[in-house]
Amino acid sequence: MIDFSGILSGLQMAISLEGILFVFIGVFVGTFIGLMPGLGPISAIAIMIPMTYNMDPTIALVMMAGVYYGAIFGGSTSSILLNAPGVAGTVATSFDGYPMAQQGKAGKALAIAAIAAFIGGTVSVVFLMLFAPVLSSVAIQFGPPEYFALMLLGLTAIASLSSGSTIKALMSALLGIMVVTIGIDAQTGTVRFTFGSANLLEGIDFLVIALGIFALAEVCALIINRQKTTFNAKTIGSLKITKEDFKEMVGPMSRQSVLGFIIGVLPGAGATIASFIGYTTEKRFAKNPDEFGKGSIKGLTAPETANNAATSGAFVPLLSLGIPGSGTTAVMLGALLVLNVQPGPLLMTENPTLFWGVIMSMYIGNIFLLILNLPLIPYISKILAIPRPMLISLVVVFCIIGVYSISFSIFDLYVLLAFGVIGYLMRMFQFPAAPFILAFILGGMLEQSFRQAMTISGNDVSIFISNPLSATLLALAAVSFLFPLWQSYRNKKNNNQTLSM
Amino acid sequence: MKKLVSVSASSFLTLMMLSACSDTGSEEASSDQGEWSPTNNLEFVAPAGAGGGWDTTARMAAQAFEEAGIVDVGIGVINREGGGGAVGWSYIANQAGDPHYLFAASPPLLLIPLNGQSEYSYEDFTPIANVIADFGAFAVRDDAPWQDLNELFEDMQDESSSITVVGESAPGSMDHVQFVNIAKAAGVDPGSITYVSAQDGSAMTNLLNGSVDVYSTGVTETIEQVRAGEVRVLAVTAEERLEGDTVEDYPTAIEQGIDEVFVNWRGFFGPPDMTEAEVEYYVNAFTELNESEEWDAVRERYSWDEYFMVGEEYKQFLEEQNEEMRLLLEELDLYGESE
Repeated sequence: MIDFSGILSGLQMAISLEGILFVFIGVFVGTFIGLMPGLGPISAIAIMIPMTYNMDPTIALVMMAGVYYGAIFGGSTSSILLNAPGVAGTVATSFDGYPMAQQGKAGKALAIAAIAAFIGGTVSVVFLMLFAPVLSSVAIQFGPPEYFALMLLGLTAIASLSSGSTIKALMSALLGIMVVTIGIDAQTGTVRFTFGSANLLEGIDFLVIALGIFALAEVCALIINRQKTTFNAKTIGSLKITKEDFKEMVGPMSRQSVLGFIIGVLPGAGATIASFIGYTTEKRFAKNPDEFGKGSIKGLTAPETANNAATSGAFVPLLSLGIPGSGTTAVMLGALLVLNVQPGPLLMTENPTLFWGVIMSMYIGNIFLLILNLPLIPYISKILAIPRPMLISLVVVFCIIGVYSISFSIFDLYVLLAFGVIGYLMRMFQFPAAPFILAFILGGMLEQSFRQAMTISGNDVSIFISNPLSATLLALAAVSFLFPLWQSYRNKKNNNQTLSM
Repeated sequence: MKKLVSVSASSFLTLMMLSACSDTGSEEASSDQGEWSPTNNLEFVAPAGAGGGWDTTARMAAQAFEEAGIVDVGIGVINREGGGGAVGWSYIANQAGDPHYLFAASPPLLLIPLNGQSEYSYEDFTPIANVIADFGAFAVRDDAPWQDLNELFEDMQDESSSITVVGESAPGSMDHVQFVNIAKAAGVDPGSITYVSAQDGSAMTNLLNGSVDVYSTGVTETIEQVRAGEVRVLAVTAEERLEGDTVEDYPTAIEQGIDEVFVNWRGFFGPPDMTEAEVEYYVNAFTELNESEEWDAVRERYSWDEYFMVGEEYKQFLEEQNEEMRLLLEELDLYGESE
């Protein structure tokens, strides 16, 4: 049953002068923060907490939410132009966005990203509005066995992320799983692979790795292959998206709006996981998966739709259950507590203006983001016109600032450098980086939820198949794992037939 | 004098603001007669991320200090996250001799070093004042079979029991230890308690969906779910019942015949090697804070109990707590010498 009076009071709040002003401030700050590699929505929102002290809680949340989805929206720009992901959620955007920019189609890439993000953001708000109460009861069904099965399903995509050798992709993924075990183990408190360094206790931050493997490795490649004109993209090309382009976008946009939203709803899985799963599913179902990674429109649309859809999804557990599903929503919850609002199962009935006000403001916020981002494209992409030596230095500077601002640790900078070198070596020997990143993102939760489940069941593995949800997910994982094998078997057979003809 | 609004500096932007403000924010030192007062803006460090207990304590104290006009320099709140606090502590240890840095602390300052996960322990720092306390709560689903704590513990003593406890902290830290502490007093073997750590915020979800049976957490985390009728709180770890809507209905362990408490004390510590005059300045400041209306309002808002201690009393309290925690961790086989 939809609460119309609640929706109306929320709408009233959202379109009040104050509501519009603060959602604008939120998305503006968010876009800016998103542009800067390394600076993420968590730090931006944390900075804003003191600003919210004397605010109306609804307005405060409207603004903080704006920062959150604004950062994911804006984060794609640096992924596309510089291969330096602005926020963790836009790492997958660089897979096809950066190649497009290199082909001189930066303008088009940015426009596609903006439209995909807008659609993902808006469609998912509709879902948020219609299904929040229903979905929250589904999200809550996810216990450790279900998460394990889901992460396993995500990992089966590794094979599809490898463009060359599957063995190399698997090795790369294994490395990712190894790196994610560094730090204090959550289940036993045991310190793993830190070599006695206090700096490694918390593990390695995802952005340090992403900036190293993608941005710094790219910089290394640019410097070392000086002769080759890798950075020939002086022109940004036309912003215009043709009818054919749009046709390609429709499929991924409609699918990933839904999928991204659902993944966002699950506590613990957020925009980053959504963008990767979005990318790999689209690649899996594409007619010509070989185009992925070389500037495919589908490959750019999918993660951009999914990550923005996931941000709305993340508000489902926060607003309808009071359970923060991600680091960013946890900070928002903390800020709301300061304002004397305790989100919980009763929030929707006791404080409908806040509940619906935030949701309604997201429509406005997404429109602002589109207006803010589209006209800026020609100016922002001028970055590419900067002479190469300067641009390279700029990327390095941004990476260093971004990484340093994560935890103010000089140590992280060395880790960044190390991963820059590892990333370059991986390129040189043609080890794909994406499986490494994917395994790093999913590996932590895969391991922890597996062990949580085993502790709960008293080391009885049947826990994974005794409940329908995790059994279904495991079955899907098996299908997803075997599907490419079957596909290549069939292809081989077809080839043989053609040969014998 | 320019006042620095309390800012969270999880970003370099704020660092820039801080340095800009501290240039103009310094004040003449009054160092005659062995008295000391800050010559610079103060920095309150929360050795954890924004939104948590340390962060809230530091932030609210900074705010109340400024609103009540107790401290006449600016106070910046800085998050130094990592290693369960270890990263922030080593940052403070490096500020030895500069008394402009304080950090918010609570039982993990004892527990993490006892686990062997921090090279610095509470003895390396200068205890200034304890300000507040809050307490742990043990929640079960509304349809759970146990009506009180004794029923739960009786079932747990049964060897075939498969009761699992979830908490947000690592094993051997807060949520785990507070539960073990009470359970042990009721005769449950600490080693037999199955504890699952859910550090990604999924602890409440796992309680609600039936993956686990008991959620060991802070009192405030339970309130909304109790009001919604989803969970019940079997006990709080406080000595007496708490005040406030909903929480006043939570029974204590003591009134159920289990004579044990667990205090989540929260106070402030300074860097190593502080002089007596410096400590005295802060002791006076915190005493004034403790009596201020502004701080009273904060305590009420967060349902924190007043738990004020300074000087020898605080030191002795910490020693006793540390010894108690050490014994408990030894029993759990989680006690580790720091390297």
